[in-house]
Formats: sequence, C-alpha cells, structure tokens
Amino acid sequence: MIWETIRLALRSVRRNALRSFLTLLGIVIGVAAVIAMLTIGSGTTQKVKADISKLGSNLLVVRSGRFNGPRSSDSVARPLEEKDAEALSRQLSGARAISPAAQKQVRAVFGTESLVTSVTGTDSAFLDARDWKILSGRPFSESETRSGTGVCLIGETVRQQFFGAGDPVGEAIRVNRMSCQVIGLLEAKGYTGFGQDQDNVVLMPLHAFQRRIAGNRNIDNIYVSADETTPTSVLLPRVEGVLRDARRVPPDGENDFDIRDMTQIADTMASATATMTGMLGAVAGVSLLVGGIGIMNIMLVSVTERTREIGIRLAIGAHERHILIQFLVEATVLSLLGGIIGILLGLSLAGLAAVTMSIPFSPSPAVILLAVGFSALIGMVFGFFPALRGARLDPIEALRHE
Amino acid sequence: MRGAPLINFDKVWKTYGVGEARVNALAGIDLAIPRGEFVAIMGPSGSGKSTAMNIVGCLDTPTAGTYSFMGVDAGRLDRSRRATLRNLHIGFVFQGYNLLPRTTAVENVELPLIYRGVAHSERRQLAMQALAEVGLTGREHHTPAELSGGQQQRVAIARAIVSRPTLLVADEPTGNLDTARSHEIMDLLTRLNQELGLTIVMVTHEPDIAAYASRTIRFLDGHVASDAKTAEAAL
Repeated sequence: MIWETIRLALRSVRRNALRSFLTLLGIVIGVAAVIAMLTIGSGTTQKVKADISKLGSNLLVVRSGRFNGPRSSDSVARPLEEKDAEALSRQLSGARAISPAAQKQVRAVFGTESLVTSVTGTDSAFLDARDWKILSGRPFSESETRSGTGVCLIGETVRQQFFGAGDPVGEAIRVNRMSCQVIGLLEAKGYTGFGQDQDNVVLMPLHAFQRRIAGNRNIDNIYVSADETTPTSVLLPRVEGVLRDARRVPPDGENDFDIRDMTQIADTMASATATMTGMLGAVAGVSLLVGGIGIMNIMLVSVTERTREIGIRLAIGAHERHILIQFLVEATVLSLLGGIIGILLGLSLAGLAAVTMSIPFSPSPAVILLAVGFSALIGMVFGFFPALRGARLDPIEALRHE
Repeated sequence: MRGAPLINFDKVWKTYGVGEARVNALAGIDLAIPRGEFVAIMGPSGSGKSTAMNIVGCLDTPTAGTYSFMGVDAGRLDRSRRATLRNLHIGFVFQGYNLLPRTTAVENVELPLIYRGVAHSERRQLAMQALAEVGLTGREHHTPAELSGGQQQRVAIARAIVSRPTLLVADEPTGNLDTARSHEIMDLLTRLNQELGLTIVMVTHEPDIAAYASRTIRFLDGHVASDAKTAEAAL
C-alpha cells in the first residue's frame, strides 16, 4: 500500500515535471545554502584553528603598550627592551623558550632578484618558541647571536625567489645593504588565515638587526612558550608579574605592555567563526522555510486541481487517511527530492569553495542527515494542511467539481 | 427475492438550508428495493432523485428517517464506515465516466481493490478479468484519452464490478453516449444484472433506457410519484 502510494506520488511529480521542478527549486536552494554554509563554515573554523596553531602552540606574545589602542595618548609607551627578555629568562618558571624579536619590512637582493621581505632580528630560542623547524642548515649559535654576525635563516618563499629549488645554505644575500650569509632554510608554514605569507621571512641575530637594519635597540615582541606542564593561562600572570617588576610599573599603574595568549586567541577566533557559521546557516534555513511554503502552495493547487479525482477515490471507498497519506507522501517525495538535489548542489558548492579558498573540505554526515530529515519534515508539515483539505472533501461535492 | 430488501427507505427526509431558504429534497420517502432488481429512477431535475441516489450509494445520509442497506442502518454510520461499506458492496457508474486521466484502463479498474488492500498480482488478475467481462480485452493498457466514450464507460463499469459488489449505482450511464453505444451499455448492464444477480439502481432521463429496467420509479417534488414494473409503465 505505501509502495503503491509512493509510486503514485512519483508519477504525479513526473506528470507535472516543470511545476514539480519549480516547486523543488525552493527546497533545493534552501538545502544547498544550508549545506554549503555549514560545510564551508566548518572548513574555515578548522583552517583558522590550524593557522593560529602554526604561530606556535602554547605561545604568549608580549608587545609594547603602544599597540594597545587609544588610551596611550597621555604617555608614549616605553618600547620593550632586551633586558625585559633577560629578566624573564632569569626569573620565569614554566617557560620552554623565551625569545625577543624585532621586525621590519625590508628589500632583500640576490644577484638580479629582489624581494620585499619581513626581516626579524631574534635569538636562537625563537625557533623553539615559535615551534619552527630548520629544514637544512643550522640555527644561530650563541656567539653569533651575541656578536651580531651577518648570518641569516630564510623562509621558503625567499628561497624560491632567489634560489628556485636549489640549496641556499652558504650563499650570501643582501638585506638593506647589509650582506649576510644564509646558514639555514626554514620549514614552510604557508599562509595565515589573514592571507599573510609566513614563509616570506629572513631571520638574523637580534644585534645584527638592531645595528644594521633598525638603527635602534628596541624590540617589538617577546615570545614566551609554555612548557608541557604549564598552561598558558597560568604562565600569563607570571609573565605579567616579572615584567611589571622589571619595567618598574607602580603597583597601581596600568601595564605598559600587552600580553597575548595565542591559544586563547585561537579558541576565540574558532568560536567566532563557528558562531558566524551558525548565523549563516540560520539565514539559509529561512530560505528552506520559504521553500516549504512553496510546497504548501503547490500542494493546495494540486488538491484543487484533483478535486474530481479525490471525489472518485472517496466514492470508490477510499478512507480519509488514504487521501491524506497520498498527498502527504506526494509533498514529502517532492521535498525529499529537492533535499537530495540540494545536498548534492550544496556539497559541490562547498567543494568548489574549499578549492578556491584553500580551506579543508569537511562535509559532515550529521549535517547531511539532518538536511535529509529536515526536508522530509518540511514536506510533511507543509503538505499536511493541503492533504487534510483534500481528505475532508465531501465526495458528492468533489464529484460535481469541474 | 429473499427476506429483508437490500435497500429500504423508511420515512426518509433530506433537508437543505435553513429558515426561508429551507428546501425538502426528500419529503418522507418510503421505498424498498429487493436484491437482484434492476430499477430505473426518473424525474425532472430538482425532484429529489439525485439526493435519493446519493443516499442509496451511502455517499449521503438522511436528515430524518431511516435508510437501511443490507439490513444495516447506513444513515447512522460515520464517514469512515460508509467508505468501507461502499468499497465492499457498492459500485458506481457516472454519466461522465470519471476515470482517472493519464492512468491505464487496468489501473483504473484496480482502484477499488487498492483501497481494499488486495495484493498487486491478485489485483491485476481480477482487473483483467473484469475488463474481459465488459468486452475490453486488448485495451487494458490504454489510457482514457485513447478510448472512445463507450469504451470509457465500459472501463467504468469494470471498475464498478471488479470488487463483486451487491449494488451498482448508475447515474445516467448513457447520458454522454450516442444511441447505438447507449444500447450496448444497457445490454451489458442487463447481462450483469441477470448473470451476476447484481442489483442495479439507475437514474435516467430517457424512457427507452429506463425500459431496460424491470421497475421504474418516478420522483416529483421529493416524493415518489409512481412506482411500477416497467412492462406496465411502458404501456
């Protein structure tokens, strides 16, 4: 009996192919939008999390207070100094690596090639703090860091620009008129979620950078990575205490520096993305609702058009429930069909987006199942009223209907 | 003719509207039709014959009085029970055939059996058999649009008899057909009446169609105006 009804419904859908298609379209678009949004959204969340963890896991970044917004109008914040990093190295417990760093965008030249790159002056602990590996060559030695020798480590982008696939170790490049010897190649990190190339970098000893590139003794950041047993949330107040002490901030004074917990930022960004995804999904859900109303509309037309047929069926001995089920199944088949097409379309869109936006393509079986269930439900809910109207018809009236 | 009549009207009233607009479609009718009879119902429009037919076919219920079908007080049955009663015991033939469009003859004939829950293969077999009985072998897979008016009415008759009903209600079955086709259909109904013992109640406007019946009942203003064996009425 139910097979019979489904067959009947499919035939009716096929008979009015164009109308069925237009009705389906509402559900197709709704489901496709929901699926695409949620799939792209979850891919983006994964990407954001991965990107931020690329900066280094369990990482605290200390910056001088001048980055900290408009409140610094009354006093020009003091830049960080090397002795702040030294104080941390001496007094802080629970840290795996502590490294001062200063950056500048500078043009680097090798032979006839040139490239604007981000030059960072730092020490050998930097790689440890940032969780960054050396692919070939070696890091700075203690003495190189101290004396500020003209040596550097380069990122993958710089290598490709200057040396193609060749080995850069041992070559000398010029950075802002300073010549430095490449002693190592850094492992590739790719782009950040904000589209910044993390491999377009040159690392050199801090003192070399300060003397030959920056022309001052400032440092921009101190990277502090926590060891395995210390959560960043515990480490952060310790760093704060040491720095307040070292920089002689009065007990009632505000910090003249700023500490960022990258783990926390990763979580915040990921949850912000997830919220955004949810909202977009909800907006897409509204179009699904509109699709449902389209189904109700067309089912009402269908019931009116087939009043005579309903009359015949009722006269011949169909019960109300037979008519009800017939139209309910028809509406459900219609919306389920739309749902399936919508899922395929949505997944294709998400797949396309994943390729173009270079985010992971992560279709969720739960979301797909939910979409199938929801589209069937929409068919039943919005098909119920028209179906009931058909089932309640008076057979005598219905038979008289033209 | 045995025991209780198949159809029995006992002071049946059917009233439409309220107050000034109140109309008595049936005004206290008494009528009995035994099993196996072939009855023609005549009368001008508004005489109450259509209302009576709807009650006979268990599509409608009386406002007052008792309508019994097969000894059951059908007027008191709810909608669902009447649907079951129709499905099991009553076949319908209409003036406009009322076949489902774009549906083959055999599928149209199967329809009452679907609602009775008969399995697919048995259903198909019974429907083919019914189509053979009305002389439509070879046309089973034609849709109504591919069949002539007479053939469509034969499909409708096959659909009405496929579930082996006790009663066939025919509402101007020849109303849309030419004379030759009309007489073919009436010959078929007569044969079904005689061979299967099928009770037939038929509304018609045409005396020569009514002449096929064994009894003619005339309605006028909600009353039975005359009720006679056809042979006498024809005289």
